Amino acid sequence: MNNTIDRNRMNLGLVSPDVPLLSNLDVWANIALVRQYHQNVPSDEAQRLAVDHLRRFNLEAIAHHRNATLTAEERFYAMLLRAVMVPDAVIVIDRPFLIMPDLKDPRFINNALKTVEDLFTQCHIFDFLWDQQRYRMNDAPQS
Amino acid sequence: MVDVIASVGHAGLKMTRSLRETLALAFGIIMKLLDRRMYNSAMRMVLVHQIYFTSLQILPLFIAVSVIFGSLLIGIVFQGLKSLGLTNYLGHILMGFVVTELSPFVTVLLIALRSGSAINTEIAVMKVSKELRTLEAFKIDVINYLFLPRIINGILSVLLLSGLFSIVVLLSGLLYSKIILGMSLDAYTSVLVDAVQFSDIIVLLLKCCTFGFFIILIPIRSGLSASDELTSVPIAVLNGMVKVFTAIVIIEVLSLIIRFI
Repeated sequence: MNNTIDRNRMNLGLVSPDVPLLSNLDVWANIALVRQYHQNVPSDEAQRLAVDHLRRFNLEAIAHHRNATLTAEERFYAMLLRAVMVPDAVIVIDRPFLIMPDLKDPRFINNALKTVEDLFTQCHIFDFLWDQQRYRMNDAPQS
Repeated sequence: MVDVIASVGHAGLKMTRSLRETLALAFGIIMKLLDRRMYNSAMRMVLVHQIYFTSLQILPLFIAVSVIFGSLLIGIVFQGLKSLGLTNYLGHILMGFVVTELSPFVTVLLIALRSGSAINTEIAVMKVSKELRTLEAFKIDVINYLFLPRIINGILSVLLLSGLFSIVVLLSGLLYSKIILGMSLDAYTSVLVDAVQFSDIIVLLLKCCTFGFFIILIPIRSGLSASDELTSVPIAVLNGMVKVFTAIVIIEVLSLIIRFI
């Protein structure tokens, strides 16, 4: 994973339990932060963009919620949307089952990625080998 | 004996290192304060929120303290001046003591107690909950995004609230000058205007800026010293607030020395 991060440092969109949402910002502000900071997008416009992206998951209602009040799935969506705000994003999802410990169906991750597939260029998912079965696959690369 | 000297030396080295790191951070922040590119949309949004939390939310409490404490104090000052026959020094005492010394001191104490402790805790909690790592992961400069708006807000808050405290106290003085000394509005105003010295104003402004800068910088630095454990948060806040109080005393003493040289 570290190699992937190093190779794509310039446009890395990290989704990881070690990179949490900022607890003193609303969900929309967490998503909009990258654009506001790096591209100086005005806050109104950045908010509109963030809410539009949340709408893709029918989650515009959580735009003004804080991290502590989100469900694990909502938190994952917010982290994913924050990651895709990086221009030409290379998404790296690190141990998604740590973000959503109760997730039963791994297709949830694929569906989420499909919903925003126009917003990133590549996606890599990294997890422990012993979690391989949770993805319902037996041929995952061991790197 | 050797152990005592070693522990004194160790404490001295630790203090010197801490001071050097604080000054290095201060220098870095001052450099960024002067860089126009740092004032991006995200930073401006934090600045607006900080001004709201520090300068606006405190207003009811601050005005109440100014009216109660300021009015009582100014009443005692007027009564004392009258009984000692020192009414000729009224203007110098109001401008030299109340406006340039008392106003920034009361203001900085209130802001340090309220916002300094909050910022100290906020940064320590962000460190513990790995939120600073989030900023790093998205290449967001912590100094620019987190520290700069808080420090600008600290400077603005101390300047503006000191001014407000001075106005409230001087208005109370107007009332007392009428009741105790029988002075007219014109006489009171001219006494104040005659007592104003340009150098005092410069020292006052510099003192407010220095207070505002350090009562926010020190809590930030203390917050950053928290480890990955939740139990380090109260320790970071405690150490930070002690350092803030020490810094307030040092700045106050230095400003007094500068004024009386």
